[in-house]
Amino acid sequence: MGSLLDVYKLTKYFGGLAAVNDLQFHAGEGEILGLIGPNGAGKSTVFNLINGFLPVTRGTITFEGREITGLKAHRIARLGIGRAFQASTLFMKLSVFENVFNGFHLRYRRSAWRSFLHTRDAREEEERAREDVMGILRFVGLEKLKGMLAQNLPHGHQKMLGVCIAMAIRPKLLLLDEPLAGMNPEETATMSEVITKVRDSGVTIVLVEHNIGAVMRLCDRIVVLSQGRKIAEGLPGEIAQNRDVIEAYLGTDEEEVAENAS
Amino acid sequence: MRRGSAAKKTAVFGVSLLLASLLPLVITSAYQMHLVIMTCINIMLALSFSLLYSIGLITMAGATFWAIGAYCSALVVLKGGFSFWVALPASGLAAALAGLALGSVLVRVPGVAFLIKTLVLAMIVPEVFGYFDFFGGWAGLLGIPGPDPIGPLIFVRKVPYYYLGLGLLFINILVFHALYTSRVGRAWSAVRLNPNLAETLGINLYGHRILAFVISSASAGVAGSFYAHYFQTLEPGMFSVFKAILIQIYSILGGLGFYILGPVVGAAIMTFVPELLRISKEIEPILTGLVLILLVIFLPGGILSLPERLSAFRSRAAGRIKPEEIPGPGGATEG
Repeated sequence: MGSLLDVYKLTKYFGGLAAVNDLQFHAGEGEILGLIGPNGAGKSTVFNLINGFLPVTRGTITFEGREITGLKAHRIARLGIGRAFQASTLFMKLSVFENVFNGFHLRYRRSAWRSFLHTRDAREEEERAREDVMGILRFVGLEKLKGMLAQNLPHGHQKMLGVCIAMAIRPKLLLLDEPLAGMNPEETATMSEVITKVRDSGVTIVLVEHNIGAVMRLCDRIVVLSQGRKIAEGLPGEIAQNRDVIEAYLGTDEEEVAENAS
Repeated sequence: MRRGSAAKKTAVFGVSLLLASLLPLVITSAYQMHLVIMTCINIMLALSFSLLYSIGLITMAGATFWAIGAYCSALVVLKGGFSFWVALPASGLAAALAGLALGSVLVRVPGVAFLIKTLVLAMIVPEVFGYFDFFGGWAGLLGIPGPDPIGPLIFVRKVPYYYLGLGLLFINILVFHALYTSRVGRAWSAVRLNPNLAETLGINLYGHRILAFVISSASAGVAGSFYAHYFQTLEPGMFSVFKAILIQIYSILGGLGFYILGPVVGAAIMTFVPELLRISKEIEPILTGLVLILLVIFLPGGILSLPERLSAFRSRAAGRIKPEEIPGPGGATEG
């Protein structure tokens, strides 16, 4: 399994405070990597550093063997790193269909100039894009809601739409920020299924999540952060048994961990 | 479905062009013709304002690039001795270059910072035109000649000016419409609605904002050139911040969400109504200020949002739930 994303000695200071400290991990091609840790462990900051929203203080991020540290967010998106946000960050006033369609900029091969002139080939390309949008919606089961405004969707569907939008750029790596937060068990099951399907279609996934049970079931490997540092890394089974993790992340109640992990 | 609506749009566009070109048969007074010509200019200015709004930028410099185009055109003809037909594209180009130079600084930080920086620019530019004698000083530039005759159009009476203004306006609308329906327009709306998300989708925010600023400036510059040779007198006071606010009101009154029809409706009403009511220039600012406040409070979506609001009101009154509010198969409507 080749490594797709390599984070090497990543450090981020906010003022004098190290939000991320000497962090090192990698995501192998085709795996689902879980990034867990208590609140304020720096998980979201790691995502903001990877996708270029925040400048890195020290360290490097390498994607497909190419260093991407310091690149602008839109350049990083172009290289194939997609991101779905923690809060449902969508185009709230647009329909489900338009939300995904808006994500298609990187797919067009015809020039913007031809699109402006509405040449036949540019229009045909847009027609195909519309079909591809429906393909993505069908993939996650949102096709029947295509005309609905994003703001009127139930929470679980909004999260799902967030994944669809990120899929629009045909990412090789997808960063999912708490994809299961605030979901009921049924929605959690559906979303987990979607995440697995996305991975099976050839997309590597790094996700941040608080729902430990779901993380254990879903992820191939887990990295645990606490106060900006990596305190453990391993298979879900190993993490569930790790004393440091139990202490830092979950308190000292071992029974609860065992219960959650089962 | 989409092709059908495109055909409908083409038909509406053709019919309104036809009706607009028949207008001189109905309007015989030179004064009213003047108002119609000013409407064409004001629509173009509001279009250029709404273009920036479409990418989420609210400019206070709506009259500034109009002024740059007007002064450039007048100087090219008066001092350079060139024809209006050279000055017209030249001033569009000059305004575009000015837009590129200033815009690359201005759009770096969007939001309130952009608003304030454009406000400062809008206050400085008329002062510069007033201070330097090269630009005619505070007395302004007088005796700007009209365009050279072209074909059957001899620019003495109002009607030929009207056709020239109408032609420029319709070209402006065609270009902007093509832009809004292209993937560039979609990228801009993505940036307006959610810049962070747009960036993760690979849209270069800074680049697109500059592009919008340049196009907006260029179209205002062309409108300025036409204005200079129609009005034949320029003075710095014409391009004050107050004009910039008026331009905003045109767009807001018509409806900010309607990038083309909003400016058309808003500018037509705001050009005609105060004149027909014979409101004196002294109290006009008070009334326009009042209009702006009332609009923001009671009709933030503008006049063109009225039908939608009325139908929403009616369905609420009838106690019906809108079909798109029900999740599931029943909610599926055409994308």
